[in-house]
Amino acid sequence: MEKGNAIEVRHVSKTFKVYMDKGHTIKEKVLSSKRRKYEEREVLKDISFSVKKGQGLGLIGHNGCGKSTMLKLLTRIMYPDTGSIEMSGRVSSLIELGAGFHPDMSGRQNVYINASIFGLTKKEIDERVEDIIAFSELEAFIDNPVRTYSSGMYMRLAFAVAINVDADILLIDEILAVGDAAFQAKCFNKIKTIKASGTTVVIVSHSLAQIEEICETSLWIHDGLVRAVGNPEDVHEQYEKYVLDKRIEIADRELRRENLKKTELEQEEKENVSGKEEESPQNIKIIDTKMYDKYGNERAMFKTDDECTVKIFYKVYHPQKDMFFAVGINRIDGVLFYSMKMRIDKKAGFELLEDGVIELAIKDLTMLPDLYVMDVAIEDKNAQIVDYVTNAYRFEVVSEKNDEGISRLKHTWKKES
Amino acid sequence: MKLFKELYDYREMIFSLVKRDLNGKYKGSVLGFFWTFLNPLLQLAVYTMVFSVIMKSNIEDFYLYLFVALVPWIFFSTSVSGGASCIWAQQDLVKKIYFPREVLPVSFVTSQFVNMLLSFLVVLVVLVLSGKGLSGYALLFLPVIMLIEYLLALAMAMITSALTVYLRDLEYLLGIITMAWQFLTPVMYSMDMVPEKLRPIFNINPMTPVITAYRDILYYKKAPEMETLLHAVTLGLALLVAGIIIFSRLKRHFAEEM
Repeated sequence: MEKGNAIEVRHVSKTFKVYMDKGHTIKEKVLSSKRRKYEEREVLKDISFSVKKGQGLGLIGHNGCGKSTMLKLLTRIMYPDTGSIEMSGRVSSLIELGAGFHPDMSGRQNVYINASIFGLTKKEIDERVEDIIAFSELEAFIDNPVRTYSSGMYMRLAFAVAINVDADILLIDEILAVGDAAFQAKCFNKIKTIKASGTTVVIVSHSLAQIEEICETSLWIHDGLVRAVGNPEDVHEQYEKYVLDKRIEIADRELRRENLKKTELEQEEKENVSGKEEESPQNIKIIDTKMYDKYGNERAMFKTDDECTVKIFYKVYHPQKDMFFAVGINRIDGVLFYSMKMRIDKKAGFELLEDGVIELAIKDLTMLPDLYVMDVAIEDKNAQIVDYVTNAYRFEVVSEKNDEGISRLKHTWKKES
Repeated sequence: MKLFKELYDYREMIFSLVKRDLNGKYKGSVLGFFWTFLNPLLQLAVYTMVFSVIMKSNIEDFYLYLFVALVPWIFFSTSVSGGASCIWAQQDLVKKIYFPREVLPVSFVTSQFVNMLLSFLVVLVVLVLSGKGLSGYALLFLPVIMLIEYLLALAMAMITSALTVYLRDLEYLLGIITMAWQFLTPVMYSMDMVPEKLRPIFNINPMTPVITAYRDILYYKKAPEMETLLHAVTLGLALLVAGIIIFSRLKRHFAEEM
C-alpha cells in the first residue's frame, strides 16, 4: 500500500448469483436442478480508488448502482471476486446499527455486547461506557431492558456505541436517519469532529450536501463502474445533471402520453359529432400540436433556455389565403407567459391550399421551471377566428439552477474599475 | 498468525458470547445453573443402574469406566453436531457486521468446554466418594489432554459450521454421524475388545487416543503413555490445520449464502 493511504481498492469486481429459488438442502440441490437456475449480476466491474489517511470519500449513484455493495466489501462482510482491497487500521461501520442487541438485557449490558462485536476489549469499553451513555442521552433508561425502548432510543444507543469505537476508518451508510432533528445534527457534528481528529471516513449518502460538507472527494458509481471522481462540487454537478436528464426522460414520456391521449379523445369526440361537420362552414382546422427539441425529437420536457420548435398540423377543407397563426403559452396557474402572433410580428399571412404543417421556432424557452400549456389559434385577415384550440399541448420546464422568478434574464455582473 | 492476533483482539466478544450462552442455557428453569451439575449426575445414576443391575459387565466398576469417557465424549459430539448451526444461527450478525467469523465456533466450543469442566467437578467428586480415589501425578496430565480435545473439537466445529452454511442438511446428518462415531471410539468398551483388523480404523480416529488418555488418567490412575499423547497431538494438529484452511476458504461467501 502506498504511504499515506488508508484505503486502496484495486480493480475490484463482484458478481452476485441471483437465484430464482434457492435450495439449501441436498434434496433441493440434487433433485430440482430447475430451481437452481440463477442469473449472474455483475454489480461492480473493475472499480479502483484510494483514500488518503484522514480524508473523506463520498460514494454516490442511483439505487442499485453498486455503491452499497462497495461499502459492504469495505466492511468485509463480503469479499470481491477479483481485485484487492487494502485498509490500514481498525474499521468501524455505521451500517447496521444495533447488531447483536439483546432485547431482554439492559441498555448498559447491550453497550458491552455491542461494543465487543466491534472488537473492543473490556477495558476499552469500561473507558468509553460513560461517554456512550452520555452521547445517547439515555441516562435515565440505561438500566432498563432494551425491549422497553422506543425505536428512536434504540437507534440512539446503537449509534452512540458505533461512533465511540475510535476507528481509524469509519464507514457510513445513509447516516443521520437516526432520531429527531436535534440528535441528527449532533451525530453529524460528531462525525465531523471524528474526521477532524484524523479518522478516514467513507460515506454512502443520497444527501449530496452532507458529502460536500464532510468529504474531499466524491466517487460516482454508475452501473458498477466509476463514472466520475474528484472534487464533490464538480462530481455532484455532473451527477445532478444526469439525474435531471433521467427525470426529464421519464416525465417527458409521461407528458407525451397524456398529450396523445388528449388528442385521441378530442378526435373521437369530433368523429362522434361528425358527418354534417364535413360540410361545416369551417375552412381550416387544427388537428394537432406538438413540440420538438433541436434534434427533431418530440418532447414535452425542456430545460430553461432550451431551443424548441412547435409544429401545428392543420387540415384544409377549403383553400384559404391570409391565414394568421398565433400561439399562446400559459403557465399552469393561468398566467399568460408569452404569446406569439404572426399579425403582431408583422408577418404576411400564409396561403393554405392543402393539409400541412406550420413550424414555429423558439430560440430560447426562458421560462423558469413549471408546467405550461399552449393555446393555438388561426385567424383570417379581419382578425376573425378560423379555429382555436385551448390546451393544445402541455409541457414542463425544469432547470439545474435554482434561480427564482418567472423568466431567466440574460445577465452579467461587473465591478466598475 | 494474523488470525490469532485478530481473535485475541476480539476476546471480549468471545467472552460475552460464552457468558450469554452459559447464562441463557437454563434460563427459565427452576433449578437454573444447578442443572449443569444435575445433568451428569442423573446420567451417571442411569448408567449405574443399567450396568450394575441389568447388563453386568466384567469390567470392574464399569459405570466409572464408562463415565470418565462419556463426559469428554459428550463435549466432543456436541461441539461437532451442535456446533454445526453456530454460524447459521447468527446470520443476523454475519450478514450485517464484520468480525472474524472464527469467533462463532470458538465461542460455541468454549462454552461447551466450560460445561465439560463443570461436569468434571462431578466426575472427580464421584471418583473420590466411590472409594476409587485419584492419583495426583496422573491428574497433571488432565489439562493436557483436555487442551488437545478442545483443539480437536474446535477443528471439527469449524468444519461443520462452515459447511452447514452451504448445506443445511449437514446439521441433521451429523446427529447420526456422531452416533456412529461414538461406536467407533472406545467409549463403552476397551480397545482390547476391538478385533485386530478393525484397529487401523480406530487408530485414525483422533478421539481414540483422547478417550484412552482420559481413562488412563481417571480410571487407571496412571499417566497416559507418551505414544498415546503424541498420537492425539498429531491428529489434533492435523485436523486443526485442515479446519482453519477449510474455514477460511468457506467464510468468504457466508454473507451471500445466507
